[in-house]
Amino acid sequence: MTEPAAAVEPARTQLRRGLRIATLLVAVAIVLGLGPANILRHLDDHDSSPAQLAALAALGAVLAGEAVLLVRGRTWGRLRLPAVAVVLAASALSYATLPEGRTSTTVDWIFGAANWVGLVVLLDRPLRSVGAFLAAHELVALLNLLLFDEPTRQALARFATGSVTVIGFPLCVAVGAAILRGLSAAAAASQREAERVRVAEAVAVESHRRRRQGFAELSATTVPLLEGLAGGSLRPEDPLVQRRCAIEAARMRRLFAEADTVANPLLHELRHCADVADRKGVEVELDARGQWPELPVAVRRDLTEPVLTVLATAASRARVTVVGDAELVSVSVVGDCGEVDVPSPATPGVRIETLNHEDTVWMEVTWQPARQPTR
Amino acid sequence: MAAGPAADEVITAVIVDDHAAIAAGVRYWCSQATPPIELIDAGDRLADVWTGPGAAADVVIFDLELVPRRPDFGELRRLVDSGRRVIVYSQHTDNETAIKCVDLGALAYLTKREGPEHLVPAVRAAARGEAYTAPSLSGAFIADDSPSRPNLSQRETEVLRAWFVASSKELVAAKLNITVKTVDTYIARVRVKYANVGRPAPTKSDLVSRALDDGLVTLAELNP
Repeated sequence: MTEPAAAVEPARTQLRRGLRIATLLVAVAIVLGLGPANILRHLDDHDSSPAQLAALAALGAVLAGEAVLLVRGRTWGRLRLPAVAVVLAASALSYATLPEGRTSTTVDWIFGAANWVGLVVLLDRPLRSVGAFLAAHELVALLNLLLFDEPTRQALARFATGSVTVIGFPLCVAVGAAILRGLSAAAAASQREAERVRVAEAVAVESHRRRRQGFAELSATTVPLLEGLAGGSLRPEDPLVQRRCAIEAARMRRLFAEADTVANPLLHELRHCADVADRKGVEVELDARGQWPELPVAVRRDLTEPVLTVLATAASRARVTVVGDAELVSVSVVGDCGEVDVPSPATPGVRIETLNHEDTVWMEVTWQPARQPTR
Repeated sequence: MAAGPAADEVITAVIVDDHAAIAAGVRYWCSQATPPIELIDAGDRLADVWTGPGAAADVVIFDLELVPRRPDFGELRRLVDSGRRVIVYSQHTDNETAIKCVDLGALAYLTKREGPEHLVPAVRAAARGEAYTAPSLSGAFIADDSPSRPNLSQRETEVLRAWFVASSKELVAAKLNITVKTVDTYIARVRVKYANVGRPAPTKSDLVSRALDDGLVTLAELNP
């Protein structure tokens, strides 16, 4: 599931990075291109040229900061709010020293410059952050106009026209960025969904294969029994048929348990076998000691087969124990079931020992992985 | 502590267990035993083991977890150190808890899945100051891989293992072609070897010295 995210992530970052570079270039052109030009051209009109130059330097510093972060592939993070504060402070400083009646003229260079710098800082934030910043920027200019100037109708009209571009263009870019963010998030989500569907499909195919295999395995023993019962050749009241039914029921339970993902499959399957006997009223004790490695399904079947048979035929009580270590796993069953027939193990390395003592049978199945030829 | 009751005296046991059903069940088993065992129910009050009729009981049947998930090894040690013969009756089936109780000096460790067929002989053995090894404890011995475990002979391990698996000494004897008495001897030898290691306790040293006196084990076997 990590693959799709990895595939989408580079596209997302590339997109975001391109937009940041474009916005930065626009801001640099406006602030460092038009800004100094306007300041120099109206050097004599300004009340305090050093203050204007300081404001310009502050904006330049923020843009330089963005350039550095962009190269290092990082975002503003905790520095974002201080950076916004610097931008607003720069414009306040510029307005404080602006000659009267010059708001939103070419002398008021910062009106159309600080907005872009703010946008650069807030580009990857939600749209409302950019909106709030632009509103604050607009408010600084408006306050300057209303408080320090005598607002003429002409000045107000000029301010209103200027505001359209000052707010409109950065806002357009911010909206574009927000749409791109939404699109890339949607792309990532749909890619994840597609991957989830692919995985679910693979799981379904695999479990179908397993079920077919399981059915094939049961067909040798369970199906003839069912056919016999259905056709009337086997009578359900026959104790022998009942015993076969109990064994087949336990085999099916074991088969279902084999598909479960558990820490100790052998014990898990034994518990399922014990449960079948438990339902028949046989008192089953199950105890295990030691640790053993994970066993292949074929070995587990060989180890559980005698247990399953004894449990299915036990009259009243049975004891199942597992003792294991890295070299030897031994499963024992003791039950009051008389003599039983157990199919001989299919895998090499599995041995069965049987002891019949009065009506009790004791079967021990041992498995040694990769048995060395002894002596 | 005085020696155990004479053969014709009634054995008394005191049970400390916070579950009323367990105490009632054990009382029933004791009354059905031949000869019957007299049971004093201390409930969950440890004080009743130390004072009153409980203090004079021959055997203490001790629930290790009066407080859930807080096995009270400290109380077990105090009981053993004051010479009491203790059977730990626990719902724990893990090997470490069982081995630790034996190391502290409990004469028997039974899990609550083990019924009267083990509890009654365990009470009788404990009353004589002898150990009783139930199949679950046998399982703990064979799975014990701690560095302090005593050296067991191959035959001893074989018997322990068969006893754990079959839970019937007749079956073990039939399987290994020995008598039931020999099965008991091997199990007793294992217990003596365990009593000889770890923490010293009166019950443990009694077991060892009696085994040496009876010739069950030799000093050489105990200190290989």
